[in-house]
This record gives sequence, C-alpha cells and structure tokens, in this order.
Amino acid sequence: MIIRILLLGGLAAIGWLVFLRRNKLPFHIVIVFLLLAVGGAAVLAPEATLDDIAHAFGVGRGVDLITYVFEVATLFVLLHYYTKFVELQRQLTDVVRELAILRAELERTTAGNRDRSPADS
Amino acid sequence: MPPASRSVGAVYNRGVASTDTYVVIAAFREAAVIEGVVREVVDAGWPVVVVDDGSGDATAARARAGGATVLRHAINLGQGAALQTGIDYALRRGARHIVTFDADGQHAAADIPALVAALADADIALGSRFLGAVDGASRGRMALLRAAVWTSNRLSGMRLTDAHCGLRAFRASAAPALRITQDRMAHASELLRKIKASNLRVVEVPVTIRYTEHSRAKGQGGFQAIRILFDYFFRTS
Repeated sequence: MIIRILLLGGLAAIGWLVFLRRNKLPFHIVIVFLLLAVGGAAVLAPEATLDDIAHAFGVGRGVDLITYVFEVATLFVLLHYYTKFVELQRQLTDVVRELAILRAELERTTAGNRDRSPADS
Repeated sequence: MPPASRSVGAVYNRGVASTDTYVVIAAFREAAVIEGVVREVVDAGWPVVVVDDGSGDATAARARAGGATVLRHAINLGQGAALQTGIDYALRRGARHIVTFDADGQHAAADIPALVAALADADIALGSRFLGAVDGASRGRMALLRAAVWTSNRLSGMRLTDAHCGLRAFRASAAPALRITQDRMAHASELLRKIKASNLRVVEVPVTIRYTEHSRAKGQGGFQAIRILFDYFFRTS
C-alpha cells in the first residue's frame, strides 16, 4: 500500500535527520530510534500492535487512538509555545526599554560633559 | 465606602507648571506633528519625555527639535510599552507626578495644570472628554466612543464618564500599582483594571479633545477595537 510506503519514508527521514544532528547524548538518539521503530511496527502491522492498545483504552481502532492522542498533544504543544512566546515578548520589552533608557542617560551625560568641557580647559 | 470616582473641574485652582512633573508622550510615526505637540507642552513649562516607539521616520529628531528628551525603542513594541518606558525614565529622573499625553495633537497643554492640581487629593486624575469638550469628532466616532465607555465600564466595574482618554496624571507613588504590561493598545483597559484593584483614589477632570484630520487618520477604528478586546482577554498577565 502506498500509504505505508509514505509513512515509513517519513519515519526514515526523521531518523536520518536525527542521525545527521547527533550532537546529543547517545541515550537520546537510542530513545528516538526506539520510538521510530515502534512507529514503523505500527505502520507495518497496525492490527497486531495499535488495535490491541486501543481496545485496552476502550477505543475502537488504533488509528482513532492515534488521532485523539495527537489532538491533545498538539493543543498541549500550542499552549506551551504560546506561554513561551508571551514570556519572550515580555523579556524583549524589558530589554528594549532598558536600552532606550540607558541610551538617553548616556546622551544626557555626554551632553553635560560637552557643555562643561570648555570651562574645564 | 467613598465613590470610586468623582468629577472635578473648576473647583481646582489651576496649578503652575513644575519641573518635577514629567509629561510622557508615546510616539509612533508622528514626524508630521510631534514637534508642534512637544513645543506646546514645553512652552507651557513642563519637561517632556517622548518615547519614539521604533518609528523609522524623523519622529525622534522632530521631538528633540521641539524641546523634548527623546528615548528610542530599537523596535516597535506598542503604545503601552512606550508609555511605560517613558514613565520608568521619568521616575528615575525623580518625577513626583507623571502626565501621559497623546502624540497626535488631540490633547491641549492647557489641560495639564488642572490634572496635576487634582492630584492634591487623588492618586490618579483621568481626563474626560465627556465632562469637557470634543472638537471635530464625527457622529460615528462619538457613538463609537460612547460604546467604548459602556464596554469599558462593564469590563472594569468602574463608573467613569470616559474610557481610554490618553490624557491623565498620576503620582509617582501610584506608578508601581499602575505598571503597564500590555504592550499594545489594551493598556488603557489594563490601567482601569489596576486602578480598580489597587483602591487608588481616582478623579475625572474635564479636558478638551481636538480631533484633526491627522488624529482621525491615526485613531482607533472599529476593527482595532476587536483586536484590543482580544489582547485584553487573552494576553493579560
């Protein structure tokens, strides 16, 4: 089936990218490859793997279980990044504000020095 | 319990300009008018701090030419953020009172003394165009403003005659309680919420708003109102 080839191709691409960017601990890479292997097994034999798990959770099909988990996970990730975004915006505001005030203070000080210097010399 | 707000006007003697009162103006792309606006306030004797909110035009230079101390945001953050930057600067310079003033020329420097005088027995004085006067506003704009007042009073639980008038004055001691975290336009609603939560003493002072071709073009339309409501509800912190 074409869909299986596409899904396996996608998993293989993820595996290749992880392999290329292997700057993390070997432990992390092993975990990722294990997850990819589980994904591969689910693609090749969904009846034997996913459906049993789905039934255990009271869901009819493995595919449905995946959809539900994916939806909740997506919302969680969105919320996480939104919170991060708001926090980053706040930090950015603080930095830009501090920069503006410091620059004004600096201009004031240098202008003051310039005004004084003829009398000093 | 005392009423949340009351109106004052002519009962206050008009105070004179003082150097421990800073007038803070947030400006974004106001090169066309900012010099005149600043000059009017400076000529009345008030120190002016203009925060150029990443304009990219000659706003900063024009404001400086008008006699203001100019602070520049490296990037555009929004009116709320720019006001807070100016307020922070004024506080560091030892301000006792802070006045916020719009950059587009809709406010009159002649209204500042009454606002500052009202701080004699209040922590914050809010300008009210509905107690004062509005020049040059269309019927549609007045209807939108009244709707804004109604909505704002429902949101804040306060009973004010005006909402979101940018001309206001407050004591330095009230500044921490009024700190603006809404970078964009929802800061005005945020301010009312914070006033309500803080039990600060509030008065409304009549002011005159002058709508010009320029301020109308820059002003908040109906679509922005929706965006402000979104910010208010979803970006509160």
